[in-house]
Amino acid sequence: MKRLAWTLVCVALVACAGVLGLKRSVPEVFPHRAHVVAGVTCTRCHAGMEAGGRALHLPDDASCISCHTKPHDPAPCSGCHVPAGRPAELAEAKAHLKFDHVPHLKGPASGNCMQCHTGIADGDARIRPQMATCFKCHGKAQSARTCDTCHTNLVEEGTLPQSHLAHDGDWMREHGTRAASSGDLCETCHKQSFCADCHGQTVPALTSTRRFADPFAASAHRAGFAARHSLEARADPGACSTCHQPDRCVACHTSRGVAGDTRTTPHPRGWVGLTASENLHGREARRDPAACASCHGGAGEKLCVQCHAVGGVGGNPHPPGWSSRQPLSAMPCRMCHPIGAR
Amino acid sequence: MKLAASIAIACAATAAAADPLRLRADALATTASPAGLLVLEADGAVRSGLSAEAVVWIAGARSPGEDASGDVLVIAVDATSKDARTRGRVGRFVSLLGALRPVHVDGATLRLRLPRQFDVEAVAGMPVVASGLVTGRSWDWIVGGRVARRLGDYGSVGLAYAQRRDAGRLMTEEIGADVGAAIDKRHDVGVRAAYDLVNPGLAEVGVSASRRTKGVRAELYARHRASSHLLPATSLFSVLGDVPSQRVGSVVTWRAAPRLDLIGDLAARRIDDDFAEEIVARARLRLDDRGTSAITGELRRSGGDGSSWTGARAAARIALPHALALATELELVIPDDDRGRGAVWPWALLAATWERASWSAAVAVEASASPEYSHRVDALLQLSRRWSMK
Repeated sequence: MKRLAWTLVCVALVACAGVLGLKRSVPEVFPHRAHVVAGVTCTRCHAGMEAGGRALHLPDDASCISCHTKPHDPAPCSGCHVPAGRPAELAEAKAHLKFDHVPHLKGPASGNCMQCHTGIADGDARIRPQMATCFKCHGKAQSARTCDTCHTNLVEEGTLPQSHLAHDGDWMREHGTRAASSGDLCETCHKQSFCADCHGQTVPALTSTRRFADPFAASAHRAGFAARHSLEARADPGACSTCHQPDRCVACHTSRGVAGDTRTTPHPRGWVGLTASENLHGREARRDPAACASCHGGAGEKLCVQCHAVGGVGGNPHPPGWSSRQPLSAMPCRMCHPIGAR
Repeated sequence: MKLAASIAIACAATAAAADPLRLRADALATTASPAGLLVLEADGAVRSGLSAEAVVWIAGARSPGEDASGDVLVIAVDATSKDARTRGRVGRFVSLLGALRPVHVDGATLRLRLPRQFDVEAVAGMPVVASGLVTGRSWDWIVGGRVARRLGDYGSVGLAYAQRRDAGRLMTEEIGADVGAAIDKRHDVGVRAAYDLVNPGLAEVGVSASRRTKGVRAELYARHRASSHLLPATSLFSVLGDVPSQRVGSVVTWRAAPRLDLIGDLAARRIDDDFAEEIVARARLRLDDRGTSAITGELRRSGGDGSSWTGARAAARIALPHALALATELELVIPDDDRGRGAVWPWALLAATWERASWSAAVAVEASASPEYSHRVDALLQLSRRWSMK
């Protein structure tokens, strides 16, 4: 019984490791560096590189046997000496990059593959050149942000920029600050429609609605946002008006029948009254004037002016020391300050 | 609307004559209003350096007796010079001017890359207004520009200015400054600040600094936002004072295992003299190396005077054979003060998708209880088709 329990625990641990993606780290199984140091030229194994084409130019058994005349195992060399998944990885890179060895071998890397494959000098871990290596010569593409010099189509392929950009953490919140200084970099992967899906004024439906079947799709209004939007708006004044026009709220509430004439006032008791304790609206309006404007904007402002106009019972709504560049004859000043009044 | 749609289709047709033209049509039907939505997207490159993009939509009537509506989300033609130093865009697009808020405009923008790593951008046009909110569009315009200088390969600094008028009246006038820098391989920082020139004061400031080590990314952030400065200067509510809200916090993302990410967000908010906490703990487990199938769970606590709530969210997407996939999502929100609108606001969705070649279809059932409805069940159906042609 005890044995069975231990067996089950071991199976569970192995299963967990598999689910978590934990794998035994495998050292690079082909010693590139040792071959280079021994004086074997790259093209001796990677034959046909000068001819270019779509082939991956991976060595076959014959090229290995030409030197290693007595293989230690009759099985194909690539079965052990090529890491699993490497050919697929190379094929994918070939398909998604506009790269041709031919012009490179005729130009800057003529006779010296290590001009780009610099990692071989350090060991066998990084054989493929890093993007920074490309920029040694293609610096103009970097400064002009023309990623399509090398990448086939970043926008359509949705290539994750894991190697040189991070969209992790809370990117929805962070992206505004990051994009402020590098908007053109964003445009190398994202089309206009991507920005307009949230920042557009003529958005037909929320991104979360249009992509309802993808629970991991980024959206500012994911899941049950409709239920908690009033809490979120109150906790973060001005958050709504950074994207939405102030009268957006009342337009939606009216169309859904949750505002206007169909309901009584949404304000709590003591919102407007004759004494200070009965006038909660002043404090709340200062904290989030955008929330007030979302319903009382435009023509609704006349409601405020009824009490707060110069000489009215509502008194001065400005805080101490308040000033503005606007002349009194301009909007909104003239609503409360009629000509002749100060 | 009809004119805009015609232009979009004409642009797409022009693009069809040359390099890859991509078209996409999404039809969405829901039992919630609006009941039907058709979104058409097209983009392509007429030739190297000249491309076009368009997204138009048509939606069913929101209620009986109303007309169907439609609009253009994006319709833009981009031209880039051979050396990529000059880029222009004309049409309807989202204008990004550094630290200033993005604006959806009908207009034109031009970007020049000058010597000594200077960049200059300018935009001019008419701000887009949602069709249901249009009350008159005379003399509405926006102009703005940004000058930036790249700091080698490490980042850039920029200064932006924009002025917006509504019926000729000054609505917004702001300047903004932005800085972005990758200090070294592990550290980067981004800062943006916008200043309201009409009612002088800081409108918005954002700072983000991150450090990346093997498997862990830690970000410190701070934000300052003055609601009154985000309103149009023509609004009566922009003159009530200057009570900004602030938020500071830290997000730590830890790749605990190759397929497991753990994220923690701890923040403090301040509005006037009220402080509140915001705590989020999230885990995401990918069930395969590509993340096609994944599970996520999240706990959230949001404090605040009259706005505090506690919530939990779980979601999963499981890829099945025959190009099928199942997705489900559940959210529970418990407001501290429910004000008689229900102690728990649950929201759940169960969806199935099928994707093969250029077709994809999805069907879902959504159920919820909210302050608005004691219970509600909706069905959603989406059908998409993509075309790509030379």
